[in-house]
Amino acid sequence: MTQHNIIVIGVSTGGPVALRRLFSGLPPLNAAIIIVLHIPQGMDYRIAKGLDAVSSMPVALAEDGEFLRSGQIYLAPGGYHLLLAGNHRIVLVEGERVNFVQPSVNLAMKSLTRPLNGKIIGVVLTGMGRDGAEGIRHIKAMGGITMAQDQESCAIFGMPKAAAETGAVDMVLSPEKIGKQLVSLLH
Amino acid sequence: MIVDDNEYVRESVEILFKSEGGCLATAEGGKECLEQLEAGFKGVILMDVMMPHMDGWDTIREIVSRGLYDGNIIIMLTAKREPDEKMEEIQSYVTDYLTKPFNPTELLEMASYYGSLLKETPCHDAA
Repeated sequence: MTQHNIIVIGVSTGGPVALRRLFSGLPPLNAAIIIVLHIPQGMDYRIAKGLDAVSSMPVALAEDGEFLRSGQIYLAPGGYHLLLAGNHRIVLVEGERVNFVQPSVNLAMKSLTRPLNGKIIGVVLTGMGRDGAEGIRHIKAMGGITMAQDQESCAIFGMPKAAAETGAVDMVLSPEKIGKQLVSLLH
Repeated sequence: MIVDDNEYVRESVEILFKSEGGCLATAEGGKECLEQLEAGFKGVILMDVMMPHMDGWDTIREIVSRGLYDGNIIIMLTAKREPDEKMEEIQSYVTDYLTKPFNPTELLEMASYYGSLLKETPCHDAA
């Protein structure tokens, strides 16, 4: 089976604007991109459509059982946790919120396993709290590449700070520079 | 809608939006905000945090518990540089966070972008 490059982006408050900055002008990437944004049901499709309008890659709400495709952006729907089975299939699960949120960035990132080939990249953008910190540590431990948004460009420098404090973040950058790094890493 | 107990803030934001041909509802506090939502307001809500009687967090909690959230986007417009712990459990409903004194251009761009998202109609249900 072909192994995808996979990017998991975790984000919360301030996310729609940060994601727009990251993906505007970015060429299609050789990776499946999963965005886990803390968002309620009913708002998720609006964010997906807004991002789709500025991204060169198609953006859609992730669906249960869907297989990942390169060059596609999947937004985790509100009200479910998103897991990645075998690093290639989306699984949406109900259940309790984790640290007040559903979807949880940590659960999505920690569902990844060490790939036989292909890159795994974890990114944590603006938001309150610590969601994503454990996930970033997990991705780094698997040999993945990790990035966090810098304080200056964050609406709330909570999640990126917590991720950086794990010592497992490779780069702390603005959304635009994260985009450039993704292009460079996946060239 | 601007929700702020400070009349100066309400007026300055109102002048800013009207100068760009936009329209803005104003509310002096959480109670007035909820009344306008009950009356059918849909749109971008710029919410202060520190207000008497009912603060911004409690107002958001009420918006959600009364089923008034759908079709709105909430942006905190606050002097607090860091949100307090009360935000953590409702963070999914706080789409963005802007600190006072705000940059007028940034506020207008943000409100315009989020307003455009609210014009989208549902595409399909998840899962």
